[in-house]
Amino acid sequence: MTPAAPEISRAPRWLHLLLSDYFSLILTVLLVAIFAPFTPGLLSRANLLNIFSYLLPLLIVAIGLTLVMITGGIDLSVTAIVAVASVVGGSLMTAGHQPAFIGVATMLLVGLLIGAANGAMITALHLPAFIVTLASMMFVSGFAVWFTQSRNIDQLPPAFLQIGQTLLISTAVTATLALVVRFLLQKTVYGRWLYATGQNPVTARVSGVPVRSMTFAAYVASGFCAALASVIMTGRLETASPVLGREMLLDVIGATVIGGISLFGGKGKIAWTFFGVPFLVALDNVLNLLNLSQFAITITKGSGILLAATLDALRTRFGFRQS
Amino acid sequence: MSAPFVEFVGIEKAFFGVPILRGISFDLPAGGALGLVGENGAGKSTLMNIFGGNLAPDRGHMRLAGREYTPATPRDAERNGVAFIHQELNLFPNLSIGENLFLTRFPSQRGTSLIDYSRLNELTVKLLEEVGLAALPGQSVETLSTGERQLVEIAKALSTDARVIIFDEPTTSLSRSETERLFALIARLRPRGIAFIYISHTLADVFQLCQQIVVLRDGAVVGDGPAHSFTESKLISLMVGREINRLFPERNPTSRLAEPLLQVRGLSCCGKLQDISLTIHRGEIVGLAGLMGAGRSELARSIFGLDPRTSGEVILNDRRLKPLNPRAAIRNGAAFLTENRGSEGLCLQLSVADNLSLACLPRHSRPVLKRLNFETLRAAVERIRAVVRVDSKASNEQPVRTLSGGNQQKIVLGKWLLNEPRVLLLDEPTRGIDVGAKSEIYRLILDLAAKGNGILLISSEIEELIGLCDRILVLSRGRIVREFARDQFHREEILRAALGSAAPA
Amino acid sequence: MTRVGPKILKGAPLLILTALVLFFGVWNTRFLEPRNLLNIIAQASSTGILAIGMTFVLLTAGVDLSVGAMMFVAAAVAGKLALAGVSMPLVLLAMLAITLLFAAFNALFIVHVLVAPFIVTLATLFIGRGVGLFITQTRAINLPEVFLTFGSARMLGVPLPACLFAALLVLAHVILTRTPFGRECFALGHSLEAARKAGICCEKRLFQVYLISGLCAVFASVITLGQLGAVSPKFGEQKEFAAIAAAVLGGASLFGGRGNILPGTLVGSLLIQTIENGLVVTNADPYLYPMVISGVIFLAVLLETVRNRYIRSNDQHRFSSSRR
Repeated sequence: MTPAAPEISRAPRWLHLLLSDYFSLILTVLLVAIFAPFTPGLLSRANLLNIFSYLLPLLIVAIGLTLVMITGGIDLSVTAIVAVASVVGGSLMTAGHQPAFIGVATMLLVGLLIGAANGAMITALHLPAFIVTLASMMFVSGFAVWFTQSRNIDQLPPAFLQIGQTLLISTAVTATLALVVRFLLQKTVYGRWLYATGQNPVTARVSGVPVRSMTFAAYVASGFCAALASVIMTGRLETASPVLGREMLLDVIGATVIGGISLFGGKGKIAWTFFGVPFLVALDNVLNLLNLSQFAITITKGSGILLAATLDALRTRFGFRQS
Repeated sequence: MSAPFVEFVGIEKAFFGVPILRGISFDLPAGGALGLVGENGAGKSTLMNIFGGNLAPDRGHMRLAGREYTPATPRDAERNGVAFIHQELNLFPNLSIGENLFLTRFPSQRGTSLIDYSRLNELTVKLLEEVGLAALPGQSVETLSTGERQLVEIAKALSTDARVIIFDEPTTSLSRSETERLFALIARLRPRGIAFIYISHTLADVFQLCQQIVVLRDGAVVGDGPAHSFTESKLISLMVGREINRLFPERNPTSRLAEPLLQVRGLSCCGKLQDISLTIHRGEIVGLAGLMGAGRSELARSIFGLDPRTSGEVILNDRRLKPLNPRAAIRNGAAFLTENRGSEGLCLQLSVADNLSLACLPRHSRPVLKRLNFETLRAAVERIRAVVRVDSKASNEQPVRTLSGGNQQKIVLGKWLLNEPRVLLLDEPTRGIDVGAKSEIYRLILDLAAKGNGILLISSEIEELIGLCDRILVLSRGRIVREFARDQFHREEILRAALGSAAPA
Repeated sequence: MTRVGPKILKGAPLLILTALVLFFGVWNTRFLEPRNLLNIIAQASSTGILAIGMTFVLLTAGVDLSVGAMMFVAAAVAGKLALAGVSMPLVLLAMLAITLLFAAFNALFIVHVLVAPFIVTLATLFIGRGVGLFITQTRAINLPEVFLTFGSARMLGVPLPACLFAALLVLAHVILTRTPFGRECFALGHSLEAARKAGICCEKRLFQVYLISGLCAVFASVITLGQLGAVSPKFGEQKEFAAIAAAVLGGASLFGGRGNILPGTLVGSLLIQTIENGLVVTNADPYLYPMVISGVIFLAVLLETVRNRYIRSNDQHRFSSSRR
């Protein structure tokens, strides 16, 4: 039988705008423009600084997640990695009396290891990414709570706190990471391989792409990014906490999906994540300034993810937005 | 003979302007058994897809039991008593035999929606008896062999009161005794008025089973009559008697003394390939003929390291490949053009340029960090676009999904050529593409050979192999059964060897 | 080819359960008292009932992460209405209505918008918890005595929750094995495309499966309310993990098409509860609990994968042998 040519459905014109590249950027601008008059504090210097300091670690985690989502997977364990890296590093630097650089190195190593464990299970056993990372989220965050007996760790060395508290350092770290990842994705063979893996793993394998290694590497990178974010967040809060980042999961997934990184894999740019994160942070901030309670914020964000996932499904169905 | 029960009248069908069926007319009586034979691509499957409600004919009509028959869907065909038993059986292995038979119409206990299993078992036992399958109705289908599953499919057809049952190559995966059992069953069912259309390449089976034979060639009926009016050699000459394409240029056989590029020794692969050895020399085009399911694609895939092998070795460019995986094969100069263009050859959403460059990225990167050298890459992509002549209207950024089959195939080929391979494994390189693109791909293949590359060409069209190859190997049931040198090429002999029906003359 | 392998794998959860019961029994003889064993079954019932729904969902190659949140929403509604003096039957009716609405919302996005089940139910998990917190205003609500009596009542010496659990197990088992609906779920879980070709209305079935998951969440919510007598902001939190673990331990495949209620889901949920109970009896660190449960999920998924490979390789073996 002769294969039929793929049918290309045509979506109405108004969908084009909704599904365009800069959708989340437009949303952010709209959001700020609409709510700035009602929330006087929104554009104040203090508030902007506050927004910015949450934006940085969120961006770092989201960059890692973006890599995983390009391969067509998902990493739900990122927030647990943030927590466990925080307490392991914290206890090493306080109870273990280790200097800050060893603490940081250990935190990053913890992230790499958990990412590697996730990646190994997903590539070697062919298990669905969401169940592997869901279970490892539970295990890792459980470990963090058990390890500290649910207590925070204070009195971290000042050298360590510097990284999170000096805006210049944390901005530089985030910017460097973003540029490196952008470089890898756009300018190197690895980037092309990663997209091909997410687009069609079979074609990729036939064409000599190391599909398993790329998938594995994406989870390792995601673990590393989460640990890096943990360094900055722990420093900023001056305390290592076993529940650090627990509220972050919705924001991270929301930011990437609203930014336009496809849950079906193979599509996404660091720039899209860059547009998605500010929207989520601005949304969070506006809702807070409007004095909405935590649960209202959770409901809004959950609906946001659902809406973004719906847009993603529509885009895929109508064949829009090729990167 | 009684009045016709199934009638095909002037059926025509074209895909993308290429005619596949050119006015097919024949009929068969109730209780008749008709053998439908023809080479791959002669139009048998298309015709049966029309009969089974998967496709609509462009022109012509069908009659069933004297009434006009126009199935809109496969379900529609089923309701009209037409059952289609595919090569890929449509059973649910995780359900029992009885459940598979009555999936959409379970007998229910009176007044409840519970399945009446005793009634179901009763019905199933009766059907299993009819088809002669010694199995329990509650037995799960995954415990059955392929032959047994086929009997379950027939039982399913009987349970829907089928009046016409179509078999598509039913015996390729059956043992001899299972085949005999199937034939005995068909012989038992015919007196009930059930008509059979039997599609097969195994001519001996067709002669044993059918009283009437219809031969298709290039979408037209070239022979129709009672089975005893045909002989095996007459059938074969009818099947292959097609006009030789003038697409193939003259070809000078290469010297056998040229150095070997690819050597395969004793390759076996879990029941699909048995002890395959072959050598391809510099500048040589080796054809691989065989029926569907003979193991042609499996051989190419095993050589390229896509499918696991159980034993044997592959030597490429004097290097033994170990481990055998696509990356190692590519690194040692192999390329594999898959027959599944859309699912294995291309990333349909990605652009023309991205697809073309997918396999050659490492050679356009700088050592540190594998940075891409965009200038050389872009130049290479442009160069190869000109070589394989991708439609110049298509931009480099256009997703390949929007291109025609011929252009897509050129892109897959271009992807491999960018890697400057020494050995190309081409699996059905001209399937589903138009004549213009076909001849361009032939020209490319000959050019590649002239430049000293070795080529393994798999094709279902014997003309294509005869026109292009230096040697043709014939594969049957996972073994190489004959080898033909260019001066021995003989269409009927090749087909005969592929059919495995008679000893070589 | 050995036939022992798959049997051991199939029986592994039951073997582990027996071993664990004996182990805890030796550790502390109180564990083996009928009172304690009955208690375990009663405690297992809410997780077990969730696992029944989860088995249906997993069977169709989906997942429902929002079951814990649905429990919470139902409980919050119950708490509010009960405090307002609404009669018991009406309270139950309201719980049912809100949860089915919730489940239909899930199904709508999964079946008709074609968003991946895990992302839909992850989003509705958060939405549900938010809605629950909104209803309760993040405060704990103590329920009237009626609810508690339900939790502690006994029928012929057996705790009422355990009776309900048993009844639902039997009902679900019958639905899955003896009704067209159940068999069609198996078929579409094996291959959606083949099921569609065979003429099964897959969209309708999938929708119904997510409603069943919601229905089970209502029952689980009622039982948990009966046992706790209060709705706290953490009500039903992380219950989805235990439910998935129990269903997968019971033999449900994450890839669809495989699973059974009896004995599978029963053994799976008892195993989870025994571990939890055993941790209490042995005075283990309560913080270990989530780690142990997630360890069990890993184990279950691993077992399931190995089992699947075994079945597949067996199948291939038959194919190749029949060829000769």
